[in-house]
Amino acid sequence: MKRHVIVTGGSRGLGLAIVTALLDAGYRVSTCSRTPGDALTALLEQTGEDLFWQQADIGDSDSTDRFIQAAVARFGVPWGLVNNAGIARDGILATLPLVEVDRLIQTNLTGSIQMARGVLRQMLGRAGGGRIINISSIIGQRGYTGLAAYAATKAGLDGLTRALAREVGRRQITVNSVAPGYLDTEMSGTLSAGQRDQIVRRTPLGRLGTAADVVPLILFLLGDAAGFITGQTLTIDGGIGC
Amino acid sequence: MSERHAELLALIAQETNRILTEKGEAAVAITPDTAFLDGPLPFDSLDLATLIVALEGVTGKDPFRSGFRQFSKAGELAALYADA
Repeated sequence: MKRHVIVTGGSRGLGLAIVTALLDAGYRVSTCSRTPGDALTALLEQTGEDLFWQQADIGDSDSTDRFIQAAVARFGVPWGLVNNAGIARDGILATLPLVEVDRLIQTNLTGSIQMARGVLRQMLGRAGGGRIINISSIIGQRGYTGLAAYAATKAGLDGLTRALAREVGRRQITVNSVAPGYLDTEMSGTLSAGQRDQIVRRTPLGRLGTAADVVPLILFLLGDAAGFITGQTLTIDGGIGC
Repeated sequence: MSERHAELLALIAQETNRILTEKGEAAVAITPDTAFLDGPLPFDSLDLATLIVALEGVTGKDPFRSGFRQFSKAGELAALYADA
């Protein structure tokens, strides 16, 4: 029987790459986003019954609860959750509007905690373990000018990973963070040309990362071979953080 | 003890023993004075969370929706569900 994995924010960027790879690997996938977008709509049409999408606003617990219930009704209790949905806001903290700070925390941190809570409530009722993967960021470990609030949310996710790993390990549920470095996705589109050049210069492997660099680790962590890895933050950054 | 309270206590006993059995523990008699944690019951905080989730699934009620409410014994938990 195909395992069911929930991926938040699967309509574009890294989330879409994760959804696509999971389908290729034989998983059933539920994903949510504010809108499906052209690429996910096409994937829904060509994939058929193994992919489920529902509109949901991460950070709105009623919305995410409805999504989890619908996903469970469609494919059963999930084996895994990939907390991928997130937003970035670039701005010096002293002038970043508080409403944007609140939005960052609500989406990136509170929303991920709500998703983990909701999915764990399903997993606890079923023996057999499970996987939770939080998509963190190297920014949460190293910081970056203009991304203080974003960094705080990602560091918070890493804390969630460590504490939750201790909490649910007895049920063979593993919890890990995957912390990409600077990826060449829509979210990095706000970087100036100078910032991109600086990041590339400082990266030993000499380029920005891509979703394809990150997806294999997520597939590995979801698999049985990763059953003894938990509470870790695994960084994929081309060496910029070393 | 009201009939409703007794039914809830029976449900709590059933679900508690299901969780214990899944852990490989022997079933035990659950009374209103049975303490979930820090007593002879081989139950930990994660087992208790599992019990709460299971009870919500059966009853459709969540007495903790508005915040945490103190309880330590099976009878106290049954009372929370009876009032919910």
